[in-house]
Amino acid sequence: MKILVINSGSSSIKYQVFEAGNAVPLAKGLVERIGLRGSLLKQELDDGRKMSLSGEIIDHQQAIEYILAILTDEQRGVLDSRDDIKAVGHRVVHGGESYISSVLVNDEVLYDLHKHADMAPLHNPNNLKGIEACRSLIPNAPNVAVFDTAFHHTMPGYAYIYGLPYTMYKRHGIRRYGFHGLSHRYVSERFQELTSTKDGPQRLITIHLGNGCSAAAILDGKSIDTSMGFTPVEGLLMGTRSGDIDPAIILRIMGREELSRREAISLLNKHSGLLGISGVSSDMREVLEEIEGGNKQARLAVEVFTYRIKKYIGSYAAALGGVDGIVFTGGIGENAPEIRAMSLEGLDYLGLKLDTKLNQQPDGERLITTKDSTAEAWVIPTNEEWIIAQDTHQLAGDTIPDA
Amino acid sequence: MKDELADLIKSKPESGKGELGLPIAIMGAGSVGTQLAQTVASNGHNTNLVEINPDLVESVQRELEANMDAEIKRWGMTEGEKRAILARIAVVTDLEAAAQSQFVLEAIPESLEAKQQLYLDLHEICPPETIFVTNTSILSLTEISSKLPRERQKNMIGLHFLRPVPDIPLVEIVRAVRTSDDTFEKVKEFAESLGKTPVEVFEYPGYITTRIILPFLNEAMCVLMEGVASAEDIDTAMKLGFNLPHGPLAMADQYGLDQVLTRLDVMFHELGDLKYRPCPTLKKMVRAGRLGVKTGRGFFDYRNNSEVEQ
Repeated sequence: MKILVINSGSSSIKYQVFEAGNAVPLAKGLVERIGLRGSLLKQELDDGRKMSLSGEIIDHQQAIEYILAILTDEQRGVLDSRDDIKAVGHRVVHGGESYISSVLVNDEVLYDLHKHADMAPLHNPNNLKGIEACRSLIPNAPNVAVFDTAFHHTMPGYAYIYGLPYTMYKRHGIRRYGFHGLSHRYVSERFQELTSTKDGPQRLITIHLGNGCSAAAILDGKSIDTSMGFTPVEGLLMGTRSGDIDPAIILRIMGREELSRREAISLLNKHSGLLGISGVSSDMREVLEEIEGGNKQARLAVEVFTYRIKKYIGSYAAALGGVDGIVFTGGIGENAPEIRAMSLEGLDYLGLKLDTKLNQQPDGERLITTKDSTAEAWVIPTNEEWIIAQDTHQLAGDTIPDA
Repeated sequence: MKDELADLIKSKPESGKGELGLPIAIMGAGSVGTQLAQTVASNGHNTNLVEINPDLVESVQRELEANMDAEIKRWGMTEGEKRAILARIAVVTDLEAAAQSQFVLEAIPESLEAKQQLYLDLHEICPPETIFVTNTSILSLTEISSKLPRERQKNMIGLHFLRPVPDIPLVEIVRAVRTSDDTFEKVKEFAESLGKTPVEVFEYPGYITTRIILPFLNEAMCVLMEGVASAEDIDTAMKLGFNLPHGPLAMADQYGLDQVLTRLDVMFHELGDLKYRPCPTLKKMVRAGRLGVKTGRGFFDYRNNSEVEQ
């Protein structure tokens, strides 16, 4: 049974094709610049072949038509026909309070998701475009929506309620939802598999450091707290997002700089974080290079970034009643040893002693703490698509007669 | 560029109308036209901005960039977003660009004759279903479209955007006598796709916004003229007293005092009501060339970019 996994953004679609039960995709690819001049489709197959095609792609539906065309192409594809695709899994960023697990998409679900699209105005509408395109182009394959918020639904009320009038929660759904759920779930499952010998409760802190950054406190495989909140702006410092700030600051800035609501939102989301502090870049690699050259603001940005991570580790250790493991994942978490080192510095009291040699190893799932550490820190490359494929297999599998 | 993707599929996919339909054509690349192009493109529509004078194309391109650079400075936009918006806007000199559009938005100067002629030209080249949208705030829509055949007049409607177009979340949809319900619904949907809240108005001088704001500005000028209070105190009183972001005199300076005067004159003549009679101080200042922010001086002094009373 072959499963197509779709992750649609505003002008891009990432996709992978899995054979059910195999975590290595048969093909993976990316369509860029949808609706812009000079669209691009890039694909990589499991035999290592890479291809890149340029042209014009006007909308998400057309992008998916091209994806299906290249997947079924005689020379460049991995499928005989579209009918080989038995189910399609979609990443949907925000499931609100109603979707606490993945769901088979029918008309009712689609209507409901449209109704709540404003919960994540930057993401959900694009996710839905992907679902609609697949429904019309591969009508026989069921679609499954997998939510980024769902993994965090196990948080207790005292972790998700803000200190605001309770009416705000009842009336506007203002609460912590948390994001990056697929990633936190994947690495926590992998951690469990890699370290399954230990008895007793497992207290894990997962730290996803990519374009967006978030940490989660996970007790026995269940999220009990996470750093992103009502929106993905809260928590850790990110490439261009501020993370935690005093909420009164934004009101003050809006008044002083005469910013409109739109400008204020843009300032918090796109001009802050590493970019805002360093004044150099939102890309950690570039910021680290600047530090080499003696840029003090760049150094400060990285210090803020890692100090914030350390603070969250401390608070989650308190929430979990200790810590057995820490997992770094995401582009920065997987590839920046200096960031991991700075984040874990001085955490010996939690039983975490960094093995500097192991920390420098470049690839794969790896332990980075010393043997005598009582807790383990790991680097585990994330695989959100695999989570989508698994849930899709499970939910759609029953609906397919010969699967 | 060779379309390698098109070769992948023998016949090009049917769906290729674009998520948001055909490109949008904008006639006239003045300040409203360029702001409109930015707004339309930033909401995902491909946009043809038509400036028939080829000598101006370069300066239009510069103005588009300058507007967005100013937004980047105010943290309202990123370099990446600017590039994406520019990639959606083509500045063209040929009216023909309008022929491939579902909507033609016209924002040329407020001259009845010029607008009437433009619509006659557009009528020649556009298919019958193309919707013509004018951005006038003072001319009569019915009069602008009066030279067109009746059938076409059904597709004629007004969208009154307020400046700065990308920031003001409102648009007035103006129905002329013959505008069809179908045209209204399509334009309403389009306006919403731009992130604007539309309000429906029936053609009448000044619609809602212009009609109500003009006497307000005019009255502030009369209060100043009659020596009741200083310009600064008038603005302070209205800002703080009614929780307005700007006072009336600063608003008038921002719009351009010549623009305020022209509109008051039109309202005064059209409706014959004394409440629209332009304040003599306004006339005096326009004659003296003190037109507000754009000339550096109006009710306030902008030459050092500070709001000091003249």
